[in-house]
Amino acid sequence: MKRNLKIFWLLSIFSIKTTLQRRAGVISFFLGKILRFVFFFMFIYFLVSRSKLLAGYSLSQTLVFFLTFNFIDTMAQLLFREVYRFRPMVISGEFDSILIKPFHPFLKILIGGIDIIDFITIIPYFLLLIYFIAKIPHLNFFNIILYMGFVINGLCIATSFHILVLAVAIFTAEIDHALMIYRDLTRMLALPIDIYKEPIRSFLMFVVPVGIMIALPVKVLFGLLSINVLLLSGMISLLFIIFSLWLWSLALKKYQSVGS
Amino acid sequence: MISVKQLTKIFKTYVRSNNIITDVFHRQYKEKKALEKISFNINKNELVGFIGPNGAGKTTTMKILSGILFPTSGEIKVLGFTPFDKKYQFLRQIAFVMGQKNQLIWELPAMDSFELQKEIYEIDGDVFKKNIAELIEILDCERFINQPVKTLSLGQRMRLELINSLLHQPKILFLDEPTIGLDIFAQTTIINFIKEYQRKHRSTIILTSHYMQDVQRLAKRVILINYGQIIFDGQLNDLIVKYSQKKTIIITLAKPLTDNFTLPDGIEADYNFPQLKLTTNKEDIASTLAYLLKKIEFTDVTIEDEPIEEVIKKTFSSSTSSTP
Repeated sequence: MKRNLKIFWLLSIFSIKTTLQRRAGVISFFLGKILRFVFFFMFIYFLVSRSKLLAGYSLSQTLVFFLTFNFIDTMAQLLFREVYRFRPMVISGEFDSILIKPFHPFLKILIGGIDIIDFITIIPYFLLLIYFIAKIPHLNFFNIILYMGFVINGLCIATSFHILVLAVAIFTAEIDHALMIYRDLTRMLALPIDIYKEPIRSFLMFVVPVGIMIALPVKVLFGLLSINVLLLSGMISLLFIIFSLWLWSLALKKYQSVGS
Repeated sequence: MISVKQLTKIFKTYVRSNNIITDVFHRQYKEKKALEKISFNINKNELVGFIGPNGAGKTTTMKILSGILFPTSGEIKVLGFTPFDKKYQFLRQIAFVMGQKNQLIWELPAMDSFELQKEIYEIDGDVFKKNIAELIEILDCERFINQPVKTLSLGQRMRLELINSLLHQPKILFLDEPTIGLDIFAQTTIINFIKEYQRKHRSTIILTSHYMQDVQRLAKRVILINYGQIIFDGQLNDLIVKYSQKKTIIITLAKPLTDNFTLPDGIEADYNFPQLKLTTNKEDIASTLAYLLKKIEFTDVTIEDEPIEEVIKKTFSSSTSSTP
């Protein structure tokens, strides 16, 4: 474990050093992220401050949905940025040299390239999230603990999604579209899941399951879910994680590598 | 140390039809046997050359032996481990160098990659310093060790790749075309280094190269592979004895040849005064020399074996003609 942490630390330092070599790119990417966040934040603010409620949620509650989405989404990008670079690794044969290293390949291909830009942006998201949670009346301590637990559960589902993308990349050498589908699905949860009608809502919650990943922690925070739904969601998360790991090990067996 | 029994690897490849609908909804695949029931053993401290044309199955064999690829069937043991299980104890005892494929961090100096290797393989600090100093000196890398890898030439990069792969002193080293694309000086440096490294560390080395001189200089034993099957496994000298039927006599003449000079039947000649190059059957060498001594005046004579490339070519030709 200590060795893996050291390797993760070094890979992260090297990733940051590499990113900082492209200063102009870093600045424009950072500004783009901030602008997108600010525009969407303002959109929600003006929309809900005039209508007072969105699908039954107040402005602060709606912003908690949005900020929880941003926190989980940015955390996933911060940790799993290397997944976006996996396709060239497979095509160039660089992945071969990772497979012969005495550590789990996820250490490099999944979390081996943390993104400094996301690291910077997640701090204001986190502070805003705490601010708006604090503005919501009548929250109980137990629900806050459950909220944190389900945010961690959401990050586990995000991890599984990225493992699925890696597996698909081995089968098809395709990353971009798989990631685009993932990003589009998660973005649907930037607003409360209740704005969608059935069966889309259940599909997002239990089939995909981005609802469990993003909407469920917030609903737990507001005390809107029964224990049965939480247990069912926990089981779905577990099955999703098992499925992604199974597909990954199958992908490794089917991996054909590139010729020399 | 390495035991391979009845190893088969089948790749599935997509066959394109002329119908786009079929290509999308009902794809056809064909199976390609990259390796077919090959068996061999390699002992400790052996340096074995894997030789074969492109697509013969050399790299596939090495990738299966190192755990990168999953074999379709067969039994493989390397250092007592099944490679695809990717056990920590197995992986920390091997290294794989791929010519023209980069394992160093591209945008940073090689020293950063070496630091990473130190943590990955848990190399003791003092051992790391000693190994790195020794390897940098032997491969003469001091000048460019702190330059970003992307700014280096291929030859410089290859030397650093070797250091990166050898820092943990692997027991088994897979070298896949380590000199490909290098100039003659860089090639010589790498080959001399590999020879010296193996002598000093008693590692087992499996080498593939399209440069037969590399193989000749390094490997006593060669495994020839073609169409996924082993067609020869033995000493390089035995291969030469078996397949090399010709010798070349190179003569430096004292005087130009006269018009009435003739050669016995079955001798091929290439004349460009003062050099006369004759290729003859091995068993006729004595009689040919006796004949030349009587007929011409010369200042120097050398007898050479057939080039190794020719011997290998003949071996493959004979195996191809016997392949159904």
